Amino acid sequence: MDIRIAPQMSIMDKLKILGDAAKYDVSCSSSGSSRKNDGQGIGNTVAAGLCHSFAADGRCISLLKILFTNECIYDCRYCVNRRSNDVPRASFTPDEVCELTMEFYRRNYIEGLFLSSGILCSPNYTMELICETVHRLRTLHRFQGYIHVKAIPGADPLLIQRLGYLADRMSVNLEMATAEGLRAIAPNKHRKNILKPMRQIQNGITENKNELTLYKHAPHFCEAGQSTQMVIGALPESDYQIMSVAENLYDKFSLKRVYYSAFVNVNEDRDLPAPAGGPPLLREHRLYQADWLLRFYDFKVNELLTEDRPNFNTAIDPKADWAVRHLECFPVEINRADYHLLLRIPGVGVKSARRIVAARRFGSLTFEDLKKIGVVLKRALYFITCNGRMMYPTKLEEQYIVRNLTYQNQMGRGERLPFMTDGTTYRQMSLFDMAGFDDMQRVASI
Amino acid sequence: MEEKYLICEDSLEGIFTGIYDAYALREGHEHVHIQVGEEENLRLFATYLHILPDSVKTDKVANTLRARLGEHAYYSICRAAASCYPDKGEAVYRTVVDALTAGSGSRVMDNLRNPHVARCFELARFTANEAHFETEFLRFQELAGTETMKDSVLFSRIGPKNNVIPFIMPHFADRLSVENFMVYDENRKLFGVHPAREEWYLVTAGETFVLQNPVWSEKEEVYQELFRAFHQTIGIKSRENKKLQRQMCAYRYQDYMVEFAQKG
Repeated sequence: MDIRIAPQMSIMDKLKILGDAAKYDVSCSSSGSSRKNDGQGIGNTVAAGLCHSFAADGRCISLLKILFTNECIYDCRYCVNRRSNDVPRASFTPDEVCELTMEFYRRNYIEGLFLSSGILCSPNYTMELICETVHRLRTLHRFQGYIHVKAIPGADPLLIQRLGYLADRMSVNLEMATAEGLRAIAPNKHRKNILKPMRQIQNGITENKNELTLYKHAPHFCEAGQSTQMVIGALPESDYQIMSVAENLYDKFSLKRVYYSAFVNVNEDRDLPAPAGGPPLLREHRLYQADWLLRFYDFKVNELLTEDRPNFNTAIDPKADWAVRHLECFPVEINRADYHLLLRIPGVGVKSARRIVAARRFGSLTFEDLKKIGVVLKRALYFITCNGRMMYPTKLEEQYIVRNLTYQNQMGRGERLPFMTDGTTYRQMSLFDMAGFDDMQRVASI
Repeated sequence: MEEKYLICEDSLEGIFTGIYDAYALREGHEHVHIQVGEEENLRLFATYLHILPDSVKTDKVANTLRARLGEHAYYSICRAAASCYPDKGEAVYRTVVDALTAGSGSRVMDNLRNPHVARCFELARFTANEAHFETEFLRFQELAGTETMKDSVLFSRIGPKNNVIPFIMPHFADRLSVENFMVYDENRKLFGVHPAREEWYLVTAGETFVLQNPVWSEKEEVYQELFRAFHQTIGIKSRENKKLQRQMCAYRYQDYMVEFAQKG
């Protein structure tokens, strides 16, 4: 049964194949867990997380992100490792993964291990292999760095429980925002199976918190919480749908992070969109901005988007977009407004808002002070007053402000996007980002 | 009244001794200034006093600051004092005056309306950021064993703008508690040394010190190759964005990292 064409493969070849196979998983954070070294082995974790390098696409490399194996019994349309693809296959042994992790870690290349896997034989079989690897790393090598593992939907709850006590973070990928979408695109996966382990991990974390209050030295269960990821732009879901799902996951499943992954048509599947301008990066960027607004700025999805306005404005960011549509809240007086209102001003972030609140105890602030504090005045100036004065005489008028904010963009002086600066790419992207009519038709035919 | 300039050594000790002496003058603070390094343009009608670092005075200042300002503000001041900018002496001194004499106390670092505090804050942030980047981006390489030292020793060379070694050593000493390792700051010729399972310490190598080409262990090249391969595969082609890469990890760090082209 076990037929392999190339049984002997060097660790280098395996790393290339299995690193390549893992790269579409977005999560790479090493945050949320804070642990001192116990003096017995190497490693600790830092609450804020550390990024040890940056790849050519500008994404951080924090963890050794690999698949245990890229063999898979499933046939998901978006996935490069699907059964029907003819790609080189490889599998690590637990010892190889341990060796790589330990040697990379002590050279300060990585912050820990991110272990995912294709489904080899069955979910349980795969999960046991992952469990074995992580167990070896924790006990034999006494590794105390960060470990992020995938919980495989359909695996035995006992295995997930066991893994939770070994890992810092676990994640189950939701893949698609809607159950119908998932059915269309990943015939072997079911939303119910994905949500089940997610709920189990959530309950595990809650129970563990209660345990820890009683017994200080009880073992930690997924100290850094759990995360998930959704593919963006493979199906014509609206931003409103996606953000509502994300909000639900944060509220009802207490997730630490939801990741959004711009769809890359790796399989050149003719039923899935193949955007001419590359993956929908701008849309992904807007979703992340909105995600931050949910988590750190006390925004609700309903404030940002509605059924009638289901997609984000491509020209200005979600926060500025909210602000120009709620001009009745502005201008905000910097020296009086409470923290939550300060957070709503475009150009004022969490850090600046905190600094403003702390600094104004010593006396009233001027625009000069705000600049030193780190407020982005060229964006904030339309929305604020200092001691009753605006920085320049401006109109509190939607069209006027939008024109000014986007004019700065065109001049390359405005919003700093993490990609492309020339107008052409920008326009191509925004065309694609409006969940196209074209894609609708394609998916309808699936 | 005549301006007084206290010229201090470029170190935490130097600056703290300067602050002690500035208070000891009992002439108020308006006309007293602290300058780090050497006097630049000499001013007319100004007195220059050369201050020699003194460990007793340093301890007194450090203890007072720790007690009156709390750990958080104290460490901010230490970070500012480790900065590479020459105006740090004045910024730190005025910040201490704001805290102790003007009475902002432990909240001094919040008083960003005061331009000296704002400057001190800025300097401290720069050092803190750089220290953070170095904990992320510095790379250890394994030295080949010698007759006298058979255990493995990890070595790292960095070139930071600010004096960050004192701030990054505690992190690595905890993380790699069972390893022997060294971090070498080539701009200051300063070593941070950590023998396995012991306390770490600093060693100054002296002006004339030149680092000999180290001999690496056999396995070292293998793991570097592996990491380079991993670094290359993990990037997504259709998302390539060198500008973002450079923004997140500046060239001056890349020069010292094994996965990027190395400095000769």
